[in-house]
Amino acid sequence: MSAVIATSKLSKWYGNVLGLSDVTISIEPGITGLLGPNGAGKSTFFNLLTGQIKPSIGSLSIFGEPVRNNSRAFRRIGLCPEQDAFYEELSGWEFLTNLLRLQGYGPSEVAARAEKALGIVELLDDKSRIVRGYSHGMRQRLKFAQAIAHDPQVLILDEPLNGLDPLGKRKLIRLIKDFGREGRTVLVSSHVLPEIEALTSDIVLIHHGKILAVGGIQNIRDLIDTHPHIIAVRSSAPRALAAHFVGEEYVLNVRFENSRDSVLFETTNRDRFFERLTRYAAEPAAAVEEVTSPDDNLQAVFDYLVGT
Amino acid sequence: MKTIREIFAFFAFYGRKTRRTQAFFLISLFPVAIAAVFRFHQAMGGDGSFDGMYLFTNVIMTFFLQFLILVLTLFFGTSVTSEEVEGRTLTYLVTRPIPKSSILLGKYAAYTLIVTVLVWIGLVACFLILNFERLGSAHVWTVLFRYLGVLTLGIMAYGGFFTFLGTFLKKSIMVGLLFSFGWENVIQYFPGSTQRFAIVHYLKSLLPRVMTSRGRFSFLTFRLDPTSWPVSILTLILITVGFLVLAALLFHHKEYIYED
Repeated sequence: MSAVIATSKLSKWYGNVLGLSDVTISIEPGITGLLGPNGAGKSTFFNLLTGQIKPSIGSLSIFGEPVRNNSRAFRRIGLCPEQDAFYEELSGWEFLTNLLRLQGYGPSEVAARAEKALGIVELLDDKSRIVRGYSHGMRQRLKFAQAIAHDPQVLILDEPLNGLDPLGKRKLIRLIKDFGREGRTVLVSSHVLPEIEALTSDIVLIHHGKILAVGGIQNIRDLIDTHPHIIAVRSSAPRALAAHFVGEEYVLNVRFENSRDSVLFETTNRDRFFERLTRYAAEPAAAVEEVTSPDDNLQAVFDYLVGT
Repeated sequence: MKTIREIFAFFAFYGRKTRRTQAFFLISLFPVAIAAVFRFHQAMGGDGSFDGMYLFTNVIMTFFLQFLILVLTLFFGTSVTSEEVEGRTLTYLVTRPIPKSSILLGKYAAYTLIVTVLVWIGLVACFLILNFERLGSAHVWTVLFRYLGVLTLGIMAYGGFFTFLGTFLKKSIMVGLLFSFGWENVIQYFPGSTQRFAIVHYLKSLLPRVMTSRGRFSFLTFRLDPTSWPVSILTLILITVGFLVLAALLFHHKEYIYED
């Protein structure tokens, strides 16, 4: 398959602040997840892809064409921006139909497309309400509707699941997957790994403006598994607990928290650690009260991968 | 042209629904209230020497020319781009298949129409209230249309300038206020050719000479060395077109980055 989106040494600085650095990547049809913590450069990458800002260095193309100030490219791109911004005094219908007119459609086609898009995101019953009065979930869906209403071949979704309730997330995930299955190119960003996992197995890891890894979700999971994990165990007998694990080869570090009733274990093998902990917890003298994993999040994995 | 028309239709529709337009509509009715109070006072047996045309040309027009159109065009003109950036809605426009210059020119045209309607409603209402006993005279109507034309040219020229200012500067309102109530209000009283650096000079040059009469408010215009009407109209059109071209070029090339 040929790349729909291609970038070469793409970099962006905002004055002295690095937004994106040396990104060379090809994205093919299907769903690709852009995964990175807040401030990683995801929105900068999307702003470059949609021609809202100019690259400082490097180039990018969609369907072999540059995007910035290229009207032809914008007929094929749909963008769902991250920001919760609307023309608040308009109704959902007015918002969508006015934007569709800017795509160049005549009145009857505008109405038909708006009807279809609002139907897809289940907002038809609320189309006459003013956007200012929409719930957060409805506003997210309206943003999605304006991105898909002109039937784009490339769909760029910046944190589309942000702030949605579980049901809303599930519905939107289903819609996005439908688009991916139709052979379109969907690029979706998130800072939450399970959200991306629910959408696709093709992931681009981005952090501090740099692409850290590109590949299947399993590669990312493997990276996560090689990351030494910190596990906190609270017990009424913390020293006995620590003594039980201190000789194990997969335990790199043991230390007591300030509260003195919790022990922090750093381990290279979570599975073996938990297996032994489960056996230990079953012993009458163990008195294990709580087990938490304070660094079991994306930021910790990124920090580990970049060596900070 | 089609893309400019689409943007114009969008913002002519949206602009009239905003709270800002509603607030400015109320402000534009302020002189109407003044005119009504004056008439009421006269009807109740007040000053019999009251001259509606005099009040209209020297007080009401001064308010419209030197305050209202400046305030309206400042807030509408600078917002052509700044409200999109501050409201973070610019993304929806610049990712559509339309030239950026169309966005700017279409919005400028829509907001110019809205401001013109607001000003015309207030001015015509004042005129009718203050001159209703002379409405049979053709001359009176000529005067009204002349004033409406001058104010429309002023709205276009100031609007063009403030559209450029809003595109160029992040915080354009303060600079716009300094320009409106500093530069424009001071430089017009300078003798000789210096006053030609103010837009209001060309607007006043197009008004009937009654503005320069030796009335109670003549201090506002007493040093006007008028420019001929063809040169005044041409200059106002050039100011409008020049600043719009500059604004469109700037908008095309500039990057707008939302603040966190």
